[in-house]
Amino acid sequence: MSSDDELAERLRAGDEKALRVAYERHGSAVLYLAQRVVGNRADAEDITQVTFVAAWSGRDGFDPQRGTMLAWLLGIARRKAVDRLRSVARDQRATETVQAQQTAPPAEETPERIVDRLVVADELGRLPEEQRRTLELAFFDDLTHPQIATVTGLPLGTVKSHIRRGMANLRRRWEVDGAPSGSRSAGPSRAL
Amino acid sequence: MHHLDPDRLVLLALSEEIEELNESDHLAQCEGCRQEIQDLRHVAELGSQAQELRELPDPPAHVWQAIEAGIAAAPAPVAPVIDMAGRRERRQRSRWLLPAVAAAAAAVLAVAGTVAVDRFTNRAPAEPVTARATLEPLKAAPPNAGGDVRVLDDGRMRVDVRNLPLTTGFHEVWLLDPDEPGKMVAVGSLSDKPDAVLPVPPGTDLNRYRLVDISDEPHDGDATHSGRSLLRGTLTY
Repeated sequence: MSSDDELAERLRAGDEKALRVAYERHGSAVLYLAQRVVGNRADAEDITQVTFVAAWSGRDGFDPQRGTMLAWLLGIARRKAVDRLRSVARDQRATETVQAQQTAPPAEETPERIVDRLVVADELGRLPEEQRRTLELAFFDDLTHPQIATVTGLPLGTVKSHIRRGMANLRRRWEVDGAPSGSRSAGPSRAL
Repeated sequence: MHHLDPDRLVLLALSEEIEELNESDHLAQCEGCRQEIQDLRHVAELGSQAQELRELPDPPAHVWQAIEAGIAAAPAPVAPVIDMAGRRERRQRSRWLLPAVAAAAAAVLAVAGTVAVDRFTNRAPAEPVTARATLEPLKAAPPNAGGDVRVLDDGRMRVDVRNLPLTTGFHEVWLLDPDEPGKMVAVGSLSDKPDAVLPVPPGTDLNRYRLVDISDEPHDGDATHSGRSLLRGTLTY
Protein backbone atom coordinates (compact mmCIF):
# COMPACT_ATOMS: atom_id res chain seq x y z
CA MET A 1 0.00 0.00 0.00
CA SER A 2 1.57 3.27 -1.02
CA SER A 3 1.99 5.94 1.62
CA ASP A 4 0.61 9.45 1.49
CA ASP A 5 4.14 10.65 0.66
CA GLU A 6 4.29 8.45 -2.37
CA LEU A 7 0.76 9.38 -3.41
CA ALA A 8 1.61 13.07 -3.12
CA GLU A 9 4.62 12.62 -5.36
CA ARG A 10 2.68 10.68 -7.95
CA LEU A 11 -0.12 13.25 -7.90
CA ARG A 12 2.31 16.08 -8.42
CA ALA A 13 3.78 14.23 -11.36
CA GLY A 14 0.31 14.15 -12.92
CA ASP A 15 -0.43 10.47 -12.36
CA GLU A 16 -4.20 10.06 -12.50
CA LYS A 17 -3.93 6.58 -11.02
CA ALA A 18 -2.76 8.15 -7.77
CA LEU A 19 -6.01 10.11 -7.66
CA ARG A 20 -7.88 6.88 -8.21
CA VAL A 21 -6.03 5.30 -5.26
CA ALA A 22 -6.93 8.28 -3.06
CA TYR A 23 -10.53 8.00 -4.23
CA GLU A 24 -10.72 4.29 -3.47
CA ARG A 25 -9.36 4.88 0.00
CA HIS A 26 -11.22 8.02 0.94
CA GLY A 27 -14.14 8.50 -1.48
CA SER A 28 -16.56 6.92 0.97
CA ALA A 29 -15.51 9.26 3.81
CA VAL A 30 -15.83 12.29 1.52
CA LEU A 31 -19.30 11.18 0.43
CA TYR A 32 -20.32 10.57 4.05
CA LEU A 33 -19.18 14.03 5.11
CA ALA A 34 -20.95 15.69 2.19
CA GLN A 35 -24.14 13.78 2.82
CA ARG A 36 -24.13 14.71 6.50
CA VAL A 37 -23.54 18.38 5.75
CA VAL A 38 -25.86 19.01 2.80
CA GLY A 39 -28.42 16.38 3.73
CA ASN A 40 -29.25 14.98 0.32
CA ARG A 41 -27.70 12.28 -1.74
CA ALA A 42 -27.57 13.95 -5.16
CA ASP A 43 -25.78 17.04 -3.84
CA ALA A 44 -23.49 14.85 -1.76
CA GLU A 45 -22.41 12.86 -4.81
CA ASP A 46 -21.90 16.07 -6.70
CA ILE A 47 -19.75 17.49 -3.91
CA THR A 48 -17.72 14.28 -3.91
CA GLN A 49 -17.09 14.75 -7.61
CA VAL A 50 -16.20 18.41 -7.22
CA THR A 51 -13.90 17.60 -4.30
CA PHE A 52 -11.78 15.11 -6.22
CA VAL A 53 -11.64 17.32 -9.30
CA ALA A 54 -10.52 20.20 -7.06
CA ALA A 55 -7.99 17.88 -5.42
CA TRP A 56 -6.63 17.07 -8.86
CA SER A 57 -6.41 20.71 -9.92
CA GLY A 58 -4.92 21.70 -6.57
CA ARG A 59 -2.71 18.65 -6.13
CA ASP A 60 0.41 20.76 -5.65
CA GLY A 61 -1.21 22.04 -2.46
CA PHE A 62 -1.13 18.68 -0.71
CA ASP A 63 1.73 18.52 1.77
CA PRO A 64 2.02 15.21 3.65
CA GLN A 65 4.06 17.01 6.31
CA ARG A 66 1.04 19.03 7.33
CA GLY A 67 -1.60 16.33 7.46
CA THR A 68 -2.80 13.12 5.87
CA MET A 69 -4.41 12.71 2.47
CA LEU A 70 -7.70 11.96 4.23
CA ALA A 71 -7.60 15.21 6.20
CA TRP A 72 -6.68 17.19 3.09
CA LEU A 73 -9.58 15.74 1.08
CA LEU A 74 -12.03 16.20 3.96
CA GLY A 75 -10.89 19.82 4.26
CA ILE A 76 -11.70 20.44 0.59
CA ALA A 77 -15.02 18.58 0.85
CA ARG A 78 -16.01 20.47 3.99
CA ARG A 79 -15.47 23.83 2.28
CA LYS A 80 -17.33 22.71 -0.85
CA ALA A 81 -20.25 21.41 1.21
CA VAL A 82 -20.49 24.56 3.32
CA ASP A 83 -20.30 26.68 0.15
CA ARG A 84 -23.12 24.62 -1.31
CA LEU A 85 -25.30 25.18 1.74
CA ARG A 86 -24.63 28.90 1.56
CA SER A 87 -25.41 29.18 -2.12
CA VAL A 88 -28.62 27.22 -1.69
CA ALA A 89 -29.55 29.57 1.12
CA ARG A 90 -28.71 32.56 -1.04
CA ASP A 91 -30.69 31.31 -4.01
CA GLN A 92 -33.85 30.52 -2.11
CA ARG A 93 -33.60 32.57 1.01
CA ALA A 94 -37.33 32.94 1.27
CA THR A 95 -38.42 29.36 1.02
CA GLU A 96 -39.20 27.12 3.92
CA THR A 97 -36.87 24.32 2.89
CA VAL A 98 -33.92 26.64 3.23
CA GLN A 99 -34.95 27.90 6.60
CA ALA A 100 -34.97 24.29 7.61
CA GLN A 101 -31.53 23.75 6.10
CA GLN A 102 -30.04 26.84 7.67
CA THR A 103 -30.91 25.62 11.07
CA ALA A 104 -30.31 22.01 10.12
CA PRO A 105 -26.88 21.06 11.45
CA PRO A 106 -27.24 21.05 15.20
CA ALA A 107 -24.24 22.15 17.25
CA GLU A 108 -23.38 18.52 17.83
CA GLU A 109 -23.00 17.93 14.13
CA THR A 110 -20.98 20.81 12.72
CA PRO A 111 -19.03 19.94 9.59
CA GLU A 112 -15.85 20.24 11.66
CA ARG A 113 -17.14 17.72 14.11
CA ILE A 114 -17.96 15.24 11.35
CA VAL A 115 -14.44 15.66 9.99
CA ASP A 116 -13.03 15.00 13.47
CA ARG A 117 -15.08 11.83 13.78
CA LEU A 118 -13.92 10.54 10.41
CA VAL A 119 -10.30 11.27 11.24
CA VAL A 120 -10.45 9.57 14.64
CA ALA A 121 -12.32 6.60 13.15
CA ASP A 122 -9.63 6.29 10.49
CA GLU A 123 -6.86 6.36 13.10
CA LEU A 124 -8.68 3.77 15.19
CA GLY A 125 -8.66 1.50 12.15
CA ARG A 126 -4.90 1.95 11.77
CA LEU A 127 -3.92 1.12 15.36
CA PRO A 128 -2.08 -2.11 16.09
CA GLU A 129 -4.60 -4.93 16.41
CA GLU A 130 -4.60 -5.37 20.21
CA GLN A 131 -4.64 -1.63 20.86
CA ARG A 132 -7.56 -1.20 18.53
CA ARG A 133 -9.51 -4.13 19.95
CA THR A 134 -9.00 -2.89 23.50
CA LEU A 135 -10.17 0.62 22.67
CA GLU A 136 -13.17 -0.70 20.77
CA LEU A 137 -14.28 -2.71 23.79
CA ALA A 138 -13.99 0.44 25.90
CA PHE A 139 -15.68 2.75 23.34
CA PHE A 140 -18.30 0.60 21.69
CA ASP A 141 -19.13 -1.91 24.42
CA ASP A 142 -18.50 0.45 27.30
CA LEU A 143 -16.49 -2.15 29.21
CA THR A 144 -14.29 -1.24 32.18
CA HIS A 145 -10.61 -2.11 32.02
CA PRO A 146 -10.99 -5.19 34.27
CA GLN A 147 -13.89 -6.37 32.10
CA ILE A 148 -11.75 -5.90 28.99
CA ALA A 149 -9.01 -7.94 30.65
CA THR A 150 -11.50 -10.74 31.30
CA VAL A 151 -12.94 -10.68 27.78
CA THR A 152 -9.58 -10.59 26.02
CA GLY A 153 -7.57 -12.68 28.48
CA LEU A 154 -4.93 -9.95 28.57
CA PRO A 155 -3.36 -8.94 31.89
CA LEU A 156 -4.95 -5.80 33.35
CA GLY A 157 -1.64 -3.91 33.09
CA THR A 158 -1.47 -4.70 29.36
CA VAL A 159 -5.05 -3.50 28.85
CA LYS A 160 -4.26 -0.22 30.57
CA SER A 161 -1.15 0.28 28.52
CA HIS A 162 -3.01 -0.43 25.26
CA ILE A 163 -5.70 2.07 26.24
CA ARG A 164 -3.09 4.68 27.15
CA ARG A 165 -1.09 4.27 23.94
CA GLY A 166 -4.21 4.00 21.82
CA MET A 167 -5.63 7.20 23.33
CA ALA A 168 -2.32 8.98 22.76
CA ASN A 169 -2.36 7.91 19.09
CA LEU A 170 -5.96 9.01 18.55
CA ARG A 171 -5.29 12.30 20.21
CA ARG A 172 -2.15 13.01 18.20
CA ARG A 173 -3.99 12.30 14.96
CA TRP A 174 -6.92 14.50 16.01
CA GLU A 175 -4.55 17.36 16.79
CA VAL A 176 -2.78 17.04 13.43
CA ASP A 177 -5.73 16.23 11.21
CA GLY A 178 -8.86 17.47 12.93
CA ALA A 179 -10.82 20.30 11.35
CA PRO A 180 -9.12 23.64 12.08
CA SER A 181 -11.98 25.45 13.76
CA GLY A 182 -12.96 22.28 15.57
CA SER A 183 -14.09 21.94 19.10
CA ARG A 184 -10.68 21.89 20.72
CA SER A 185 -10.37 25.66 20.60
CA ALA A 186 -13.87 26.16 21.91
CA GLY A 187 -14.71 26.55 25.53
CA PRO A 188 -15.74 23.87 28.01
CA SER A 189 -19.34 23.94 26.79
CA ARG A 190 -18.22 22.37 23.51
CA ALA A 191 -15.69 19.95 24.92
CA LEU A 192 -18.19 17.37 26.05
CA MET B 1 2.77 22.32 41.79
CA HIS B 2 2.77 18.73 40.57
CA HIS B 3 0.66 18.12 37.53
CA LEU B 4 -1.35 14.92 37.33
CA ASP B 5 0.33 11.92 35.77
CA PRO B 6 -0.60 11.60 32.06
CA ASP B 7 -1.65 7.98 32.55
CA ARG B 8 -3.85 9.02 35.40
CA LEU B 9 -5.44 11.73 33.23
CA VAL B 10 -6.44 9.07 30.70
CA LEU B 11 -8.15 7.01 33.41
CA LEU B 12 -9.97 10.05 34.75
CA ALA B 13 -10.99 11.21 31.28
CA LEU B 14 -12.48 7.81 30.49
CA SER B 15 -14.24 7.84 33.91
CA GLU B 16 -12.46 4.60 34.58
CA GLU B 17 -11.50 5.85 38.01
CA ILE B 18 -12.81 8.58 40.26
CA GLU B 19 -10.79 11.64 41.22
CA GLU B 20 -9.08 11.57 44.58
CA LEU B 21 -9.64 14.62 46.74
CA ASN B 22 -6.16 16.03 46.11
CA GLU B 23 -6.64 15.50 42.38
CA SER B 24 -9.91 17.45 42.41
CA ASP B 25 -8.11 20.25 44.20
CA HIS B 26 -5.38 20.29 41.61
CA LEU B 27 -7.84 20.23 38.70
CA ALA B 28 -9.74 23.12 40.19
CA GLN B 29 -6.58 25.22 40.05
CA CYS B 30 -4.80 23.90 36.99
CA GLU B 31 -6.07 25.03 33.62
CA GLY B 32 -3.55 22.83 31.78
CA CYS B 33 -4.64 19.56 33.37
CA ARG B 34 -8.30 20.47 32.96
CA GLN B 35 -7.78 21.13 29.26
CA GLU B 36 -5.88 17.88 28.96
CA ILE B 37 -8.79 15.92 30.40
CA GLN B 38 -11.23 17.76 28.17
CA ASP B 39 -9.23 16.94 25.06
CA LEU B 40 -8.95 13.30 26.04
CA ARG B 41 -12.66 13.09 26.73
CA HIS B 42 -13.43 14.72 23.44
CA VAL B 43 -11.23 12.24 21.58
CA ALA B 44 -12.82 9.34 23.47
CA GLU B 45 -16.24 10.59 22.53
CA LEU B 46 -15.25 10.89 18.88
CA GLY B 47 -13.83 7.37 19.15
CA SER B 48 -17.01 5.97 20.60
CA GLN B 49 -18.88 7.34 17.56
CA ALA B 50 -16.50 5.60 15.17
CA GLN B 51 -18.45 2.37 15.04
CA GLU B 52 -20.85 3.46 12.32
CA LEU B 53 -17.97 4.88 10.27
CA ARG B 54 -16.06 1.67 9.88
CA GLU B 55 -17.78 0.23 6.85
CA LEU B 56 -18.81 3.27 4.88
CA PRO B 57 -20.31 2.38 1.49
CA ASP B 58 -18.29 3.32 -1.59
CA PRO B 59 -19.71 6.05 -3.81
CA PRO B 60 -21.58 4.72 -6.87
CA ALA B 61 -19.59 4.21 -10.07
CA HIS B 62 -21.02 7.24 -11.84
CA VAL B 63 -19.28 9.53 -9.32
CA TRP B 64 -15.86 8.36 -10.49
CA GLN B 65 -16.95 8.72 -14.13
CA ALA B 66 -17.96 12.28 -13.37
CA ILE B 67 -14.58 12.89 -11.71
CA GLU B 68 -12.80 11.63 -14.81
CA ALA B 69 -14.97 13.89 -16.95
CA GLY B 70 -14.18 16.81 -14.65
CA ILE B 71 -10.46 16.15 -14.82
CA ALA B 72 -10.56 15.97 -18.59
CA ALA B 73 -12.35 19.31 -18.64
CA ALA B 74 -10.39 20.99 -15.85
CA PRO B 75 -7.59 23.35 -16.70
CA ALA B 76 -4.31 21.71 -15.84
CA PRO B 77 -2.93 23.14 -12.63
CA VAL B 78 0.82 23.43 -12.89
CA ALA B 79 1.57 23.58 -16.54
CA PRO B 80 -0.60 21.80 -19.06
CA VAL B 81 2.38 20.02 -20.57
CA ILE B 82 3.13 18.15 -17.35
CA ASP B 83 -0.45 17.03 -17.16
CA MET B 84 -0.37 15.74 -20.71
CA ALA B 85 2.95 14.02 -20.19
CA GLY B 86 1.52 12.27 -17.17
CA ARG B 87 -1.55 11.17 -19.03
CA ARG B 88 0.23 9.92 -22.09
CA GLU B 89 3.07 8.08 -20.44
CA ARG B 90 1.97 6.16 -17.47
CA ARG B 91 5.39 4.94 -16.49
CA GLN B 92 6.73 6.16 -13.20
CA ARG B 93 9.61 8.49 -13.65
CA SER B 94 11.76 10.19 -11.14
CA ARG B 95 11.12 13.82 -10.46
CA TRP B 96 14.35 15.22 -11.83
CA LEU B 97 13.33 13.98 -15.24
CA LEU B 98 10.12 15.95 -15.28
CA PRO B 99 11.44 19.33 -16.39
CA ALA B 100 13.17 17.67 -19.37
CA VAL B 101 10.03 15.75 -20.27
CA ALA B 102 7.92 18.85 -19.84
CA ALA B 103 10.20 20.86 -22.07
CA ALA B 104 10.15 18.13 -24.72
CA ALA B 105 6.38 17.88 -24.44
CA ALA B 106 6.10 21.64 -24.78
CA ALA B 107 8.15 21.52 -27.95
CA VAL B 108 6.00 18.73 -29.35
CA LEU B 109 2.84 20.59 -28.41
CA ALA B 110 4.10 23.76 -30.00
CA VAL B 111 4.67 21.89 -33.26
CA ALA B 112 1.35 20.10 -32.95
CA GLY B 113 -0.33 23.43 -32.31
CA THR B 114 1.15 24.90 -35.46
CA VAL B 115 0.06 21.90 -37.47
CA ALA B 116 -3.45 22.12 -36.05
CA VAL B 117 -3.68 25.80 -36.87
CA ASP B 118 -2.43 25.10 -40.36
CA ARG B 119 -5.05 22.48 -40.76
CA PHE B 120 -7.79 24.77 -39.62
CA THR B 121 -6.67 27.60 -41.83
CA ASN B 122 -6.03 25.42 -44.87
CA ARG B 123 -9.13 23.33 -44.71
CA ALA B 124 -12.71 24.12 -45.41
CA PRO B 125 -12.44 27.88 -45.34
CA ALA B 126 -16.00 28.10 -46.60
CA GLU B 127 -17.48 26.62 -43.46
CA PRO B 128 -18.24 29.22 -40.80
CA VAL B 129 -17.37 27.69 -37.43
CA THR B 130 -18.95 28.84 -34.18
CA ALA B 131 -17.10 26.55 -31.75
CA ARG B 132 -14.39 23.96 -31.85
CA ALA B 133 -12.79 21.36 -29.66
CA THR B 134 -9.68 19.23 -29.86
CA LEU B 135 -10.36 15.69 -28.68
CA GLU B 136 -7.76 14.02 -26.49
CA PRO B 137 -7.53 10.28 -25.81
CA LEU B 138 -8.69 8.88 -22.47
CA LYS B 139 -7.41 5.67 -20.90
CA ALA B 140 -9.54 3.38 -23.07
CA ALA B 141 -8.08 4.81 -26.28
CA PRO B 142 -4.56 4.52 -27.68
CA PRO B 143 -2.34 7.55 -27.07
CA ASN B 144 -2.30 8.47 -30.75
CA ALA B 145 -6.09 8.61 -30.96
CA GLY B 146 -7.66 12.04 -31.17
CA GLY B 147 -9.90 14.27 -33.16
CA ASP B 148 -11.28 17.68 -33.92
CA VAL B 149 -14.80 18.96 -33.56
CA ARG B 150 -16.23 22.00 -35.23
CA VAL B 151 -19.71 23.33 -34.62
CA LEU B 152 -20.92 25.00 -37.79
CA ASP B 153 -23.18 28.01 -37.73
CA ASP B 154 -26.00 26.00 -39.28
CA GLY B 155 -26.19 23.94 -36.08
CA ARG B 156 -24.37 20.91 -37.40
CA MET B 157 -21.26 19.45 -35.91
CA ARG B 158 -18.33 18.15 -37.91
CA VAL B 159 -16.49 15.40 -36.04
CA ASP B 160 -13.14 14.25 -37.34
CA VAL B 161 -11.57 11.36 -35.42
CA ARG B 162 -8.46 9.28 -35.90
CA ASN B 163 -7.01 6.06 -34.51
CA LEU B 164 -10.04 5.03 -32.47
CA PRO B 165 -9.81 1.43 -31.25
CA LEU B 166 -11.86 -1.13 -33.17
CA THR B 167 -15.24 -1.84 -31.68
CA THR B 168 -17.80 -4.61 -31.95
CA GLY B 169 -20.41 -1.93 -31.26
CA PHE B 170 -20.26 1.67 -32.49
CA HIS B 171 -18.80 5.03 -31.57
CA GLU B 172 -21.22 7.63 -30.31
CA VAL B 173 -20.86 11.39 -29.90
CA TRP B 174 -22.14 13.07 -26.73
CA LEU B 175 -22.19 16.55 -25.29
CA LEU B 176 -21.66 16.49 -21.52
CA ASP B 177 -22.27 19.11 -18.88
CA PRO B 178 -18.97 19.12 -16.95
CA ASP B 179 -20.60 20.91 -14.03
CA GLU B 180 -23.43 18.47 -13.62
CA PRO B 181 -22.32 14.87 -13.83
CA GLY B 182 -24.74 12.59 -15.57
CA LYS B 183 -26.34 15.35 -17.67
CA MET B 184 -25.64 14.81 -21.36
CA VAL B 185 -27.02 15.07 -24.86
CA ALA B 186 -26.65 12.26 -27.40
CA VAL B 187 -25.60 13.73 -30.75
CA GLY B 188 -25.27 10.66 -32.94
CA SER B 189 -23.06 7.82 -34.00
CA LEU B 190 -19.95 7.82 -36.15
CA SER B 191 -19.66 5.77 -39.31
CA ASP B 192 -16.51 4.16 -40.68
CA LYS B 193 -15.52 7.40 -42.34
CA PRO B 194 -13.15 9.54 -40.33
CA ASP B 195 -15.22 12.63 -40.91
CA ALA B 196 -18.89 12.87 -39.90
CA VAL B 197 -21.35 15.75 -39.90
CA LEU B 198 -24.09 15.37 -37.30
CA PRO B 199 -26.99 17.66 -36.43
CA VAL B 200 -26.85 19.01 -32.89
CA PRO B 201 -30.34 18.74 -31.34
CA PRO B 202 -31.95 22.18 -31.80
CA GLY B 203 -31.91 24.33 -28.69
CA THR B 204 -28.94 22.58 -27.09
CA ASP B 205 -27.06 25.02 -24.85
CA LEU B 206 -23.46 24.57 -25.94
CA ASN B 207 -22.19 26.76 -23.12
CA ARG B 208 -23.54 24.21 -20.72
CA TYR B 209 -23.02 21.03 -22.75
CA ARG B 210 -19.54 21.99 -23.80
CA LEU B 211 -17.62 18.78 -23.18
CA VAL B 212 -17.55 16.63 -26.33
CA ASP B 213 -17.27 12.92 -25.58
CA ILE B 214 -16.80 10.01 -27.97
CA SER B 215 -17.80 6.69 -26.43
CA ASP B 216 -17.64 3.04 -27.37
CA GLU B 217 -21.21 1.71 -27.23
CA PRO B 218 -22.10 -1.98 -27.35
CA HIS B 219 -25.14 -3.14 -29.34
CA ASP B 220 -27.08 -3.85 -26.17
CA GLY B 221 -30.17 -1.78 -26.87
CA ASP B 222 -29.32 0.48 -23.93
CA ALA B 223 -29.50 4.07 -25.15
CA THR B 224 -27.57 5.50 -22.21
CA HIS B 225 -23.84 6.19 -22.16
CA SER B 226 -21.82 2.98 -21.75
CA GLY B 227 -19.35 4.69 -19.43
CA ARG B 228 -16.56 3.75 -21.83
CA SER B 229 -15.32 7.10 -23.06
CA LEU B 230 -12.53 7.17 -25.63
CA LEU B 231 -11.98 10.84 -26.47
CA ARG B 232 -12.89 14.11 -24.87
CA GLY B 233 -12.45 17.79 -25.50
CA THR B 234 -14.06 21.06 -24.45
CA LEU B 235 -15.72 23.37 -26.96
CA THR B 236 -14.24 26.83 -27.16
CA TYR B 237 -15.37 29.82 -29.14
